[in-house]
Amino acid sequence: MLASGIDSKVIPKSSQAQAKESTFDHSLMPPCQAACPLHMEIREYIDLIAQGKVMEALKVIRDGNPFPSICAFVCTHPCENNCRRAQVDNPLAIRALKRFAVDFGGDRMIELEAETIYDEKMGVVGSGPAGLGCAYYLRKLGYPVTIFEAYLEMGGMLRVGIPQYRLPREVLDTEIQRLIQMGVEIRTNTRVVSIDLLSEMGYKAIFLTIGAHQSLRLGIEGEDNAGVIDGATFLREVNLGLKPRLGKKVAVVGGGNVAIDAARTAVRLGAKEVSILYRRSREEMPADPEEIEQALQEEIEISYLTAPTGIKSLDGHLEVTCVKMKLGEPDASGRRRPVPIEGSEITEEFDTLITAIGQAPQVPEDFKLRIGRGSTIQVDPVTLTTTRAGVFAGGDAVTGPATVTEALATGRQAAHRMHDYVRHNYPLPEENEKNVLSGDLLSQTADMIKKADRLEPEIIPPKARTKDFRPVEMVYNWTAAVTEARRCLRCGMGAEILFQDKCATCLTCLRVCPYHVPYLDETGTIQIPADQCQACGICVTECPAGAIVLRRPYDRNHLAEELEHAIKSASEMKSKPLIIGFCCQYGLHGTGSLSDFWRRDRTGLHIVPVLCVAKVEAKHILRAFEAGAEGVFVAGCGEMCAREKTAYWLNQQAEKVRKVLEQLGLETERLQLFEPSTMEEEPVAALDQFTKKIGELYLDSILSKEVKS
Amino acid sequence: MIVVEQKPVDKIQRMIAPYEKVMILGCGTCVTVCNAGGEREVSFLREALQFAESKNGGQGHIFTEHTLKRQCDEEFMELITDQVKDIDAILSLACGIGVQTLAGYFPDTVVLPGVNTSFLGMAKDFGVWDERCAACGDCRLDETAGICPITRCTKGILNGPCAGTKNGKCEVSPEMDCAWILIYQRLERLGQLDKMRRYYPPRNFRPIPRPRRIVASPSVAAVGGNNG
Repeated sequence: MLASGIDSKVIPKSSQAQAKESTFDHSLMPPCQAACPLHMEIREYIDLIAQGKVMEALKVIRDGNPFPSICAFVCTHPCENNCRRAQVDNPLAIRALKRFAVDFGGDRMIELEAETIYDEKMGVVGSGPAGLGCAYYLRKLGYPVTIFEAYLEMGGMLRVGIPQYRLPREVLDTEIQRLIQMGVEIRTNTRVVSIDLLSEMGYKAIFLTIGAHQSLRLGIEGEDNAGVIDGATFLREVNLGLKPRLGKKVAVVGGGNVAIDAARTAVRLGAKEVSILYRRSREEMPADPEEIEQALQEEIEISYLTAPTGIKSLDGHLEVTCVKMKLGEPDASGRRRPVPIEGSEITEEFDTLITAIGQAPQVPEDFKLRIGRGSTIQVDPVTLTTTRAGVFAGGDAVTGPATVTEALATGRQAAHRMHDYVRHNYPLPEENEKNVLSGDLLSQTADMIKKADRLEPEIIPPKARTKDFRPVEMVYNWTAAVTEARRCLRCGMGAEILFQDKCATCLTCLRVCPYHVPYLDETGTIQIPADQCQACGICVTECPAGAIVLRRPYDRNHLAEELEHAIKSASEMKSKPLIIGFCCQYGLHGTGSLSDFWRRDRTGLHIVPVLCVAKVEAKHILRAFEAGAEGVFVAGCGEMCAREKTAYWLNQQAEKVRKVLEQLGLETERLQLFEPSTMEEEPVAALDQFTKKIGELYLDSILSKEVKS
Repeated sequence: MIVVEQKPVDKIQRMIAPYEKVMILGCGTCVTVCNAGGEREVSFLREALQFAESKNGGQGHIFTEHTLKRQCDEEFMELITDQVKDIDAILSLACGIGVQTLAGYFPDTVVLPGVNTSFLGMAKDFGVWDERCAACGDCRLDETAGICPITRCTKGILNGPCAGTKNGKCEVSPEMDCAWILIYQRLERLGQLDKMRRYYPPRNFRPIPRPRRIVASPSVAAVGGNNG
């Protein structure tokens, strides 16, 4: 059980127990990750951004997402809609942070490679996000892959549906270029009309992802008049380089993202008056709230509860008759059904009418597949298999119009199922190793969390942005991104009482927690509910029984490891006098400016990077002294800390050390705490003074030793 | 709970000086709760001792750490029998009871106290402990509204308050509550002020024959003399 001697300094346990303890991961999946169709490790990369480790953040992002730069622009971010920070103030700007990581982490520089391991040729029909995603993962698995694309250019809806101001084409081109680099064969301008032909060509498994490009018809009189165009066609023409003449007054019918895209595109093409006709109210509008907001800023008028009932063509104009609606009972979609108000017809003149009330896939009959509701291809939801052997389908063609991220997730799923099919593996449902954290924050906890408003990335003003198709949203600068990332509540990686048998129920955790999280249950046992814990680490530091640990192995181990690392490099350098500084890595204090600032060119100064100084224990400081440090300092963020009371509890630990210093007849000035944001003097001056003082103490001690001898 | 306080590091250092291999042994109950002898304090003390040693040029102590659930029962000692074989001294962070249990169980090993056993008390606040019980063996809390005059009155008088009370505080320290004023106030609250009128005969101050022993029932077999 007991290891002896110096080698077990850090965690004095038997090596087996130690290994087990340092590796287990009890962290729970946060709601953002659970909501993401790709289940990306959002909490992890946000945490890395908060430390300014952008390249590492990008790596985490790339591990979970084949085309992060695309998602960084167009993701509808279900993660943000599920972010628990909304219960405190507002959700984190996760998509904008991802864009920051992609832009600043050097995504453009990344090159991908893939090896061909298998011989079976795989075919992907359609180069939308689902097709690209599938090809990416198939290639990674080691298959030769060919993508067939009907249009001249790759990207599917990413190319022909989404306007350029939302997704710059360079971004899409870069990602496609990478696929080519990986060895994916690409055949554009190749419309697949028969699956049999592909099978004959030797494709062992085929993934159909032909999208939903066919606009639904309004079903009213005069719909085929010149001047009436459907949204999908309109966007496709514009996105492929045409500049249709719209006239001055344009109306768009519909309330989804395509309607908004069409309207905003019309504005950018020079239409003077653009209005959206939607038959329900804003509440029911399926478009993204941000998109609606930006459309309104661009002076697009939205007429709610309005539906066209007839279109007449009059010398170059359209005369559109509209009827006003009222909302009735909820329908199958759960939204309230619009009911026309009799006698409320009005007639208005427009130059162009764009219909965008929904789209459906158009599956060639020669595919010989079973077609379900809304002309979609019917598949098994787990295996994505169609009614034909070796033919898989996914994306909008199966679900009807959905999001890019969902399509990417389907692509990934399809790649693995095709792999299973070709390799004769039994398809297993996707493993979800982690339990998902659920539950709302209690008000007693939410009230104690520091409020910090969401920082939105800068948006180009409406007047400037509607002149052309350049991206509307700017990327964060470094400060804004780090500040925003620090707002993350780190759901599900907090503290747990791992060793109930060690717990003496001393109530320390209950007394020290700034968020009132631990409580005594009805049996008199202390509980630390995972859905409330804010992962500040104070109870871990204070627990006298060592019964509490943080759920993530990294959080448990990194401080002691970094400390030993610093001690080792110090002993190699043999610099005197040695000063060891524990420096918080969060925010700008830890990254850009401060890491440099603490280090500078001071010889003998070694930094131990810590993730919040609340995790620095008295024993760590003593260990630094024991290793020969003449002085030790701890630099936290003071008032800027995203957590509560960290400085106070750090001071408690420091007091303990000072007591030992006193008992041993050493100067208590050898231990110094810095809180840059609340310091009276300049941090540089304060540190200079400290190093000077330590230098003097060191000289004194050498002199007195020599005098003695 | 038994409240203890860790001895100053320099004192402990002198105490362990003759022994090379020292096991620092924590206890998982009272001393853990009063933040002086739990697992955390064990490793803290180890670091402190190693640091102290490094400052003095290092004499090559070898420290090991262990924490038992309780040190006041011999059954727990069995768990460390093997490790104890290799060491020269046990530095126990348990109360005096633990130290003696160890000494009894490991007759050939030196056992040293790393803490001073102070009193029986409770946590008044985080990091603050107050004495509450003198273990006098003659509890009269029923008569004094649940407030012990033996421990909480400086004089320990049974018929208070004395003339040294002033504005509810004791003459010994203006910060210290007069226990008898507290008793009065609580009796008043409970409607039992008549208990204040009663005269309590002096306690039996005849020295308690130590060590005391309590036997649960006559059927418990005799375990020999009560001093070992």
